[in-house]
Amino acid sequence: MISMMQTDFLKIKRKGFWFLTFLGPIGVVALQMVNYGVRKEYLLQQSENDWLYYLQNISVFTPLALVLGIAIFTSFIASIENETNAWKQLISLPVSKMMVYLSKFTILACLLFISSILLMLFTLGFGIFLSFDEAIPWWELVKYSFYPYFAALPVLALQLWIATVSKNQGVPITTGIFGVIFAYSAYMLPDWMIWKWPSLMNQWDEPLINVLLGLGVGCLLYVMGMLDFTRRDVK
Amino acid sequence: MEYIVETSNLSKRFGKDLAVEGLNMKISKGEIYGFLGPNGAGKTTTIRMLLGLMKPTSGRIRIFGQDIKQQRKNILAKVGSLVENPSYYPHLTAYENLEALRKIIGVPKQRIYEVLEIVRLTEVADKKVKGFSLGMKQRLGIAMSLLNQPQLLILDEPTNGLDPSGIIEIRELIKRLPEEFGMTVLISSHLLTEIDQMATTVGIVTKGKMIFQDSIETMRTLAGHAISLKVSQAEQAWRLLLANGMKVEHESGLIMLHESSNEMVAEAVRLLVQANLSIYRVEEEKRSLEDIFLSMTREDSAV
Ligand SMILES: Nc1ncnc2c1ncn2[C@@H]1O[C@H](COP(=O)(O)OP(=O)(O)O)[C@@H](O)[C@H]1O
Ligand SMILES: [Mg+2]
Repeated sequence: MISMMQTDFLKIKRKGFWFLTFLGPIGVVALQMVNYGVRKEYLLQQSENDWLYYLQNISVFTPLALVLGIAIFTSFIASIENETNAWKQLISLPVSKMMVYLSKFTILACLLFISSILLMLFTLGFGIFLSFDEAIPWWELVKYSFYPYFAALPVLALQLWIATVSKNQGVPITTGIFGVIFAYSAYMLPDWMIWKWPSLMNQWDEPLINVLLGLGVGCLLYVMGMLDFTRRDVK
Repeated sequence: MEYIVETSNLSKRFGKDLAVEGLNMKISKGEIYGFLGPNGAGKTTTIRMLLGLMKPTSGRIRIFGQDIKQQRKNILAKVGSLVENPSYYPHLTAYENLEALRKIIGVPKQRIYEVLEIVRLTEVADKKVKGFSLGMKQRLGIAMSLLNQPQLLILDEPTNGLDPSGIIEIRELIKRLPEEFGMTVLISSHLLTEIDQMATTVGIVTKGKMIFQDSIETMRTLAGHAISLKVSQAEQAWRLLLANGMKVEHESGLIMLHESSNEMVAEAVRLLVQANLSIYRVEEEKRSLEDIFLSMTREDSAV
């Protein structure tokens, strides 16, 4: 498994994966840099607790960046194997197909997790720079940085599934685009739609529910995708 | 007799069509097995099943005496393959491409340099594969297939799309493998001449069915090349050879000799020379693969 992942890390070289891993969180925080740069005074008047208000502003764009990142990552990682149909080469090695699939999933989950860590660091950095009056709300900072990640796991599992088994790469791109649109209009979506979950909204106003749902349904979709991948003939 | 590859009643169905039907393939150790058949005959489909890439609709596959369904990983550890077009990662260098496989296979790094040397790509090891010519990509594909020092090498139309010098090079390479490395080789092609120049055993498949499987010599006899002779006086030459009990025909100024053993041709030439006839040309009339298929399927139904 370790060697499989080393191979996958080698394959994503020069494909912009690391660049995107950094770009996502930078983009999300940069939007607030612009926001606070332009109208800091106004924004500070909006709330009693400036730190929390700042975190909420940040979190508006986190789900969007996550879902977009997932769509791009999954279709990139599948395209690396699809380009010269390297699946046949890979699967005719003495490896199990489950390992092949698990390795791809793990690589992407790692990259997105790194993105979340970076998001926390950048958020913290710019927050300190803004020098709010209140103390740093550490727990809230962690929540806003990592809850969306766990809540987005079902989207990752679903997109990876679609990207690896589709003969036509238009399919995952289309579902990816719809995913981004859904994530953008999360407040209008019913609670059961997985694209709503990274926004941490639900009718009970309890973000933890989205995290637990994300982990549970994420596992389920992952297993379904893996079994389907294993069952199919290799292109 | 223990076979390296043995399939029994192997079939694969796509929708309504049977791409492979009741195939019984037998490959002994140390052979170069030529898997011959026109496009769409089911060669690639068969090879995909041998490699566990596709599940057979019915039938069994044993490689090294083990069932592929139960022992897939053990078997594949000793098999090298190149299926259809070579697979590679264009954004990586030749070395990195091999390294990506090596990490999974777990052979020493030294092996990368060895296989690069075998296919003569050492000089371009650190160049991205994106810029390689088709022949270089094909050779890289072969290098990949050799990386795990396989006991069985499966090459699906490895000379497809190569220029003549590339074809010769790969042919020479493949011929060396059984002796030098003790490998058994399965090589598919839709070209009779190609198989003719490499294989020791031949399996001919058409429309998913194996219609012939035997040594290359037996196939050559069956393929029955005719020899055509161009001589100064065709009519006279024809009578002379007929009078000596040979199976000859006389058509449009050419003498066609239907038994093409070396002795028979020598005898015919000797007779003509002794009769003071000038011989301008002695040529082998190659029969096309289609002709051979036709005659084989005819014989099938005749039996
Ligand atoms: N994945 C597939 N789905 C449907 N039909 C296929 C598939 N692969 C091959 N075939 C069909 O099976 C037949 C045999 O194909 P193939 O094994 O590629 O032949 P060959 O390699 O001898 O040229 C062809 O008629 C082809 O169209
Ligand atoms: Mg083929």
